[in-house]
Amino acid sequence: MRIFVVGYGVVARSFIDLLEAQQSVLYQQQGLSPRLVGVCDSTGAAVSERGLSADELRAAKESTGTVAGVAGHGVRTVDAAQLIAECDADIVVEASPSQMSTPGRSIENLKAAFRTGKHAISVNKAPLAAAMPAMLELAEFNGVQFRFSGTVGGGTPVLNVARECARGDEVTMVRGIFNGTTNFILWKMHSEGLDFDTVLKEAIDLGYAETDPSADIDGVDAATKVVILANYVLGRPATIGDVKVEGIRGLPRERIEEAAQRGNHLKLIGEIGEALSVAPQEVPIGDPLDVPASLNAITLSLKASSDITLIGRGAGGIETATSVMRDLLDIWNVIGGRS
Amino acid sequence: MKFGGSSVADAEKIRRCADVVRAQQEKHQVVTVVSAMGGVTDLLLELAEAAGSGNRSVKYTLLAEIRRRHEEAAAELGVMEKVEPLLANLETLVAGIVAVGELTPRSRDAVVSHGEQLSAILTAAALDGRAMTGQEVGIVTNDQHGEAEPLMNLSLYQIHENLEPLMANGERIVVTGFLGATQHGVISTIGRGGSDYTATLLGAALKADEIWICSDVDGLMTADPRNVPGAQLLDQITFAESIEMGQFGAKSMHPRALEPSAEHKIPVRVRSSFNTDCPGTLITETAPTTATMRSVLLLKNVALINVAGAAMVGRPGTAAKVFAALAEAEVNVQMISQTVSEAGISLVVAESQLPRARAVLEGQLLRTNAAKRVEVDEHVAVVAAVGSGMRGSVGVAARIFGALSDASINIEAIAQGSSELSVCLVVKGDDGPGAVRAIHDAFGLGGA
Repeated sequence: MRIFVVGYGVVARSFIDLLEAQQSVLYQQQGLSPRLVGVCDSTGAAVSERGLSADELRAAKESTGTVAGVAGHGVRTVDAAQLIAECDADIVVEASPSQMSTPGRSIENLKAAFRTGKHAISVNKAPLAAAMPAMLELAEFNGVQFRFSGTVGGGTPVLNVARECARGDEVTMVRGIFNGTTNFILWKMHSEGLDFDTVLKEAIDLGYAETDPSADIDGVDAATKVVILANYVLGRPATIGDVKVEGIRGLPRERIEEAAQRGNHLKLIGEIGEALSVAPQEVPIGDPLDVPASLNAITLSLKASSDITLIGRGAGGIETATSVMRDLLDIWNVIGGRS
Repeated sequence: MKFGGSSVADAEKIRRCADVVRAQQEKHQVVTVVSAMGGVTDLLLELAEAAGSGNRSVKYTLLAEIRRRHEEAAAELGVMEKVEPLLANLETLVAGIVAVGELTPRSRDAVVSHGEQLSAILTAAALDGRAMTGQEVGIVTNDQHGEAEPLMNLSLYQIHENLEPLMANGERIVVTGFLGATQHGVISTIGRGGSDYTATLLGAALKADEIWICSDVDGLMTADPRNVPGAQLLDQITFAESIEMGQFGAKSMHPRALEPSAEHKIPVRVRSSFNTDCPGTLITETAPTTATMRSVLLLKNVALINVAGAAMVGRPGTAAKVFAALAEAEVNVQMISQTVSEAGISLVVAESQLPRARAVLEGQLLRTNAAKRVEVDEHVAVVAAVGSGMRGSVGVAARIFGALSDASINIEAIAQGSSELSVCLVVKGDDGPGAVRAIHDAFGLGGA
């Protein structure tokens, strides 16, 4: 199976490493022998029919600043979508950075993959947030598989567990903490009685938050996950514009203290009920959603059965790479697997 | 706002459409959709067919006529330089088809698409705006050329992404109706519903307040005014009623064209292009009414076929045989009626398809003794009474039958779906207009 990876960030690198490390296991257990036929980053690409190794890619990136530095296989100044359309891959992994305000390029990448009959795995949330119904439609129209389990919950298999829960029952409501950074900030503010700005700075220093933390603290990141869950688990064709979003930027400490007096913790909760929303909500202390630090949690309310809560780490390059691997094996099984 | 072919038939009319759009632009944001100039699509189809059969003279006949009409309009609107390349392109395309002597659905779409492309350029010129093709606005279809189906979610998303920024810039956009492109960028036409479908797609994508379908009629009527002098304009009807009326070929919209607007609950207004004082007919999700019936329509040039025989009674699969035979002969069955006795199935088909229908039914059913008789009545008409107020309303049938009996009109067959949106009656062809008038009067549709 030939794989093309778009993006060469932490997730992409972890995935490429994992692919090599697992090579013999994948072959013995699944009959799968993956070959990395192309990788592109923001300035160039490396393409090889016989396969690229993790080491040569890493060496090229370190010495030349782009994967295009791979000797004999580098392509400078590339149009990723065109490369995807023209390459000889079976699966495209879209792992470029999630740029919520400009999803256009990643959407073009996925369209190029689908149009030319390639399956796709996206860990990039932007195309899903902006146009998930359209992407699902196009994949189905072209008879290819489309997976994106790394977009929600990182390595925690939130989407698949949620969908499994929904089988034969009806999910009436989904509530959850879908962003580790904001959960960390709220948890610190509560446990150490600190101000929003102080904790935010600490989170940035620790590497929990990006230097531009807007997507996290304004609730946009959580909203994209609400969109993905609404489409995938509840089958509701929604996009980011359908979510009512309220973040926690500049949240006064008094709100946390008032909540504590009522026996509650303040959490940034994404909710899929009658409507789709992201907003700070009070959660009783000890509730399954009352998770500390940068953990994520999701509670599914089912019609016939009772509530189910899943807790796990929501991010991390290696964790997310394992979800790409799961998606890859899923697709491998769907399209015929061991043959 | 969408303008039909007769509204953009020449430069003068195109100018008037532009004036209408400009007037609305003072209060609203408007995107304009245009059909090809009146009659041009037929010319292009004829041209494509002729070219496909290797006819070299088309260049001097059909193509010349198309060229003349557009050049005249272009000269008057001062956009000759934009129209010429398209006409030249059409000429090359046609020459290619003539050379190969084969017309594929894909090349037919390419030829036909020139009509809308040209009219959009002309209209944009009159409006001092920007012409865009269906492909440029983002309509993606499957590759069923001639009858292409839009990929709805993708198209809605792309239209929104492409048009919103332009509209925010205050651009006056004129979009070709009827056209899309496959995901590989090959031009396709969306067939039934045509430019109206483009308009409702755009309206849904842009979350418009209203979609206006402007043509040469004032709106939807309670009946054809040529037949019923007292026919009234309908102010407001529901999507369901409009879809039902469209199926009877009322000068309404094709049911398919209403789908995007019905699904996204965007009101559609059917109105006249130039008689701007008349508000037309508004089609909405629900419409306030006390009337039982909305409209009475007449379907002419149809034929009644009665397949009968005792062998059919209680034998599963007879109906399947009848319809399989008709499907094989590509006959479209418009109405079906059967009683519980099962001794006969009555079908209504278009008169033009009757010989085929008759031949295939006789061939397949009589020979095998699956049926005893295939009786045909060529001169019939279908009268359709449409209105959601009929649902659950007692005595509608009695009033219809009473009205027809007072007019001494005999009913040959009846069909009503369980949705109760419409009742269809088959009467003698000559009785059709009279039957419409009788029902129209009985339900007081002509007003007080």
